Amino acid sequence: MDTKKEKFPHGIPGYNLGEIEREIPAEDPPAWPINDELRVIGKRVPRLDARAKVTGEAKYTSDIQLPGMLYAKMLRANVAHAKILAIDTTLAEKLPGVHAVHLMHEMDDKDHLPMVKFVGQPIAGVAAESLDIAKEAIKLIKVKYDEKPFVIDLEDALDANAPLVYDEPIAEQRDGGDVGVVHDGSKGKGNLRGPSTSSFWGGPRGDVEKGFAEADVVVERTYRTQVHTHVPLETHGVVIDWKPEGMTVYASTQSTKGVRDELATYFDLPKSQVRVICQFMGGGFGAKHSAGTFGPMAATLSKKTGRPVWLMLDRQEEHLAEGNRPNSLHSLKIGAKKDGTLTAIQQKSHGTAGVALGAGVGRIAQILYECPNFTTEQYDVLTHAGPGAAWRAPGNVQGAFGVEQAIDELAEKLKIDPLTLRDKIDKSDVRKVERMRGAEKFGWSKRQPAGSSQGPVKKGMGMAQSTWPRFVHLDSSVEVKLYKDGAVEVRSGVQDIGTGTKTILAQVVAEELGLEVSDVTVRIGDTVFPDGPASGGSVVTGSITPPTRNAAYQVKLKLFDLVAKEWKTEANKLTVKDGMVVHMDDSSRKMTFKDALKSLRTGHISVLASRGDDYGGFQQSWGLAYGDLGSVQFAEVTVDTQTGLIKVDRIVAAHSCARPLNIGQLESQINGGVIQGVSYALYEARVMDKGTGHFINANVDQYKMPYAMEIPEIESILVEEYPAQSSTDAYGIAEPANIATAAAIANAVYNAIGVRIFEIPITPASILNALNKDYE
Amino acid sequence: MNRFSWYEAKSVEDALKNANTTLSEELYSPSNEAAFFKSGGIDVLDFLKEGLISPKTIVNVRDIPGMDKIEHEHNEGMTIGANVTLAEIEHHPDVAINFPALQMAVAHAATPQLRNMSTIAGNLAQRTRCWYFRSVDHQCFRKNGDRCFARHSETGQNEGHAIINNGSCVSVHASSIATALLALKASVVIQGGDMKKKVVSIEDFFVSPMQDISRENILGKKDLITEIKVPAPSANTKSFYIKQVARESYDWSLADVAVVAEMKGNTCVDITIALGAAAPTPIRSYEAEKILKGEQLNDMSITKAAEKAMEVARPLSKNGYKIPLFKSIIVRALSELI
Amino acid sequence: MKNDKDKSSKNAGKGNLSRRGFLRGAGLTTAGTVMLNSSVLAFESQPATGKAFGPDAVTIEMKVNGELKSLIVEPRTTLATALRDHLGLTGTKVVCDRGACSACTVWLDGRPVNSCMTLALDVGSRPVETIEGLAEGNELHPLQEAFIEHDASQCGYCTPGMIMSAAHLLKTNPNPTLQDVKKATRGNLCRCGTYPHVFKATLAAAKKMK
Repeated sequence: MDTKKEKFPHGIPGYNLGEIEREIPAEDPPAWPINDELRVIGKRVPRLDARAKVTGEAKYTSDIQLPGMLYAKMLRANVAHAKILAIDTTLAEKLPGVHAVHLMHEMDDKDHLPMVKFVGQPIAGVAAESLDIAKEAIKLIKVKYDEKPFVIDLEDALDANAPLVYDEPIAEQRDGGDVGVVHDGSKGKGNLRGPSTSSFWGGPRGDVEKGFAEADVVVERTYRTQVHTHVPLETHGVVIDWKPEGMTVYASTQSTKGVRDELATYFDLPKSQVRVICQFMGGGFGAKHSAGTFGPMAATLSKKTGRPVWLMLDRQEEHLAEGNRPNSLHSLKIGAKKDGTLTAIQQKSHGTAGVALGAGVGRIAQILYECPNFTTEQYDVLTHAGPGAAWRAPGNVQGAFGVEQAIDELAEKLKIDPLTLRDKIDKSDVRKVERMRGAEKFGWSKRQPAGSSQGPVKKGMGMAQSTWPRFVHLDSSVEVKLYKDGAVEVRSGVQDIGTGTKTILAQVVAEELGLEVSDVTVRIGDTVFPDGPASGGSVVTGSITPPTRNAAYQVKLKLFDLVAKEWKTEANKLTVKDGMVVHMDDSSRKMTFKDALKSLRTGHISVLASRGDDYGGFQQSWGLAYGDLGSVQFAEVTVDTQTGLIKVDRIVAAHSCARPLNIGQLESQINGGVIQGVSYALYEARVMDKGTGHFINANVDQYKMPYAMEIPEIESILVEEYPAQSSTDAYGIAEPANIATAAAIANAVYNAIGVRIFEIPITPASILNALNKDYE
Repeated sequence: MNRFSWYEAKSVEDALKNANTTLSEELYSPSNEAAFFKSGGIDVLDFLKEGLISPKTIVNVRDIPGMDKIEHEHNEGMTIGANVTLAEIEHHPDVAINFPALQMAVAHAATPQLRNMSTIAGNLAQRTRCWYFRSVDHQCFRKNGDRCFARHSETGQNEGHAIINNGSCVSVHASSIATALLALKASVVIQGGDMKKKVVSIEDFFVSPMQDISRENILGKKDLITEIKVPAPSANTKSFYIKQVARESYDWSLADVAVVAEMKGNTCVDITIALGAAAPTPIRSYEAEKILKGEQLNDMSITKAAEKAMEVARPLSKNGYKIPLFKSIIVRALSELI
Repeated sequence: MKNDKDKSSKNAGKGNLSRRGFLRGAGLTTAGTVMLNSSVLAFESQPATGKAFGPDAVTIEMKVNGELKSLIVEPRTTLATALRDHLGLTGTKVVCDRGACSACTVWLDGRPVNSCMTLALDVGSRPVETIEGLAEGNELHPLQEAFIEHDASQCGYCTPGMIMSAAHLLKTNPNPTLQDVKKATRGNLCRCGTYPHVFKATLAAAKKMK
């Protein structure tokens, strides 16, 4: 590969900004300067699709209505563990308005009736003329179960006599959110699987026994987090139109490419015959990477009836079967010397992702702080409950809830301020700057000793921090097309799940071509375009904006070739500025970008580009999270010790995503991560009945999430950082925004009331239980 | 939702003629012929959507003329038509001036949207929010089943359930407005199938599960609430209401209390203390009232009253926290009267 | 009767439509063919007695965004379903389907309600306004403009309901405080976390509308 050497801005403006030389692919564009010197990058640019959203014109998958379309509904098991003995669909088939009934298991194994392993497991599907009729038909299907004992509780499932979820080893499973953690289902016995003892950042290090022997203080605690579900406002679902020449799939998905590949494989079709479209989607947060079971069901019903089929889940189905963040029972032992130096970290965790794997506590304990001796054992526990799925920073949110409280407790034991301790043990520059700027904005210096707040209504302050790697996918590409009439178009299969992907692609192209954002048409969310990344793991910005810039740059050079010929000059003498193509040596020689395109012989020119490896090498070679997406969050809470009511008054969230592209959208995502963190810390939890195996608050009414009155004042600080890793040097922020919040709130609650709560959600009941031992 | 017919009732008589059961009866012993009332329709629609009821006919009483007015007579008190929405009560100036506890209770109920839709009669007649009762997969006592799932000491999810009078069904009544109306000694006017009017005190309107597990109120097959009467407060009456929730935006009550007292200086001449989300029905704490009647209201006396109110509490496996919670809000509500 | 149907959509004025005019029994024979029920006459001559409709579909008229629409619905059809599936007004979203998230908020008789918990037959002569009717032609409502400017939607699925709640506040309170905005939107669930920007946008729109 041809390469060239280029100088890039490097470091953190206002702290250590400098320059670095990188050897980069020859076809990549030269470095952009820092954001201050750019026109549209790093600015507040309104979302391209905001108008469609505020007028109700935006068509989500659930809004798709096709001629002749049928509505489908799935029948789901209402027992937790059973062998199905018989399924009778006669009455359902006879109901007027019903067009097709299909049994789930017939797709895989026609000859054997399946086992039910959780309440909500799909059994059958019906397509009918209206949703009401389909719902009625579902009730007419009779299923005969041979019920078996079940177990839904994490600790109960570990009992030697507990009913088994699987009586055999199960396959390895990778987290859908691309954290790169593999959960090994091949080891373990009973309902226990694992342990995972390492991630690709490296395995155990040093000697923890020796480390604890050297420690002056040790903190040893167990933390618990709950199972909670994603609750995207638009449920999982598809509208599928199966035609002989191929199927068109409208999907509410985080990965058009992933849904296409799954359905193509499932039905043994070439990828070219499965077209997946997602123009607008109503939230996913990690749970919507797959075609699920509803995808193949809708496709089959469409094939059977010859009509398009609408199959969106209802709210209860969404809660039961389409993913959750697994819980955790997380033990940590951390040793330190008097000066704060960490000597050993020992971690052990159990969690349940129901019938699936993926219930670890991430890598926070392993990489956030410098500590020479480390071990972890992370176990999956299988239970008869709905499968877990990736959820904003899988594992790490659970992990941070424990680690960041343990570090605070250590600081207290050592009589060191929590920020000062972190200054000592955290080697990340970006978090150092975040702590500095965050503490100032937050007013950390006003923090009082724990439990010193007077009166029944107490105030408290706390903080916590986190890390998330700079992941990118190298298999994404983008096409930038210039039309003879002056139009500019970007095309990619990547979907915009509400993060603003559409808009940043337009910004990148506008910046590169010297145009306005409104000059650029963005077409995405359709697999007829070049494959884009899945929206998971905060990978989209880092994966798709460099190909976009590369394509825009290369198509610009093509245009320059044409103009240079006309002007009888060299192409490398040309540049773009304010919508004009300009000669560098003679600024009077210029023409509008639009006029320049008139010289095209064909209707358009286009370039399809991708990106190479990170400049300067992918990621860090060794364990610690130095060059990561660091964040530090500060929380101020009010706790009413008489009623147990907690209010988060204020969050200061200091974040880094390398080069910020769109300030408004980044703030929105930080707000979102923080608010989901508040919800995780104080409100939401899946409530299950151990006696019946049912998820009894599988609705919106009793599954508590924060609404307007619960929203704290959120101030965000974006720390610009230039790692010089790609042609845009930009990364996402979705996961980092969600990791530290719950731990920061827990630390603030402790600071307010002087009693530490080790389990979330922290509800009025948990506060009152902690403060009133006498009534029992 | 099953297919049903819709009957648009034009008068109370017309409505009574066309109904043959109540929502509660249909939940307890379903028939294929059920025809019952709906006003704002929120609770009926909830049960329909859950598949817990499949009526043949819904009798719409929301548009019966004359049932949507609030009338206030200084000496008599207030009459609230059955179809008056919660929003109308919330914003009615006479309510805020004369019955602050009621205004506060209504303003904390549900969401702005639901308050625009729900009627006062529907609010009182709604059934408990116990998640087992609301689940089609749990046949509990109240649905003619053989157990109470919530009271089970190991598996029962009963954080929100009753701590008082919880010997049978342990659910709590869903209406927090009823707590305020109980403290205000309101009554419910009911027209029966025989067209006779009954006036029933709020206290007698609600039925404890120990009396009859199949229902939460006395409404029979052909009974329609036509209005709610709130008597005029005597001079020097103060009232206050507190609803404690886990989520302020909108939530079901964890504990709520309404206090109405006739004061002479700092002396309490007469007082009612009503508790919501404590028992299967809204209840008065007569014992606590006794402590305060004729006494000075001060920190000591109100703390004593709050302690007394909770003496009868017998918490379940997960709701012991409600005892300190009730004590706190009773003290706070009473302190507002001083 | 035939005449009654014909005049319905074009000639009906704003305020003079009685509830009776909206609710007419009809036996649905095949999709799209409506046989008017002769008992409508009896209904009109005896105002003290009501009338049963359904369970088959009936024809109703509904005033939506200022236009009178004729549609055929079963008594079990909710207003949300009528708007979305029968009239193609899919801006109104159904999220919880139980009145707990307010994504389905429309104005009924000028007040925000949950269209998922309202039966279409219950609408009667009360006018319905949906998100699609908020802009005046191409000109957006100032709140819609402010939502764009302050990035108050992320995935956008809660946005129509959020706007219908907040726009109603602006209609009734020209000087809202932050607390007023929170109270007006307290029933609206957003999972992406747009709340802070929704608050900002609503306060900014209030200022602009003065």
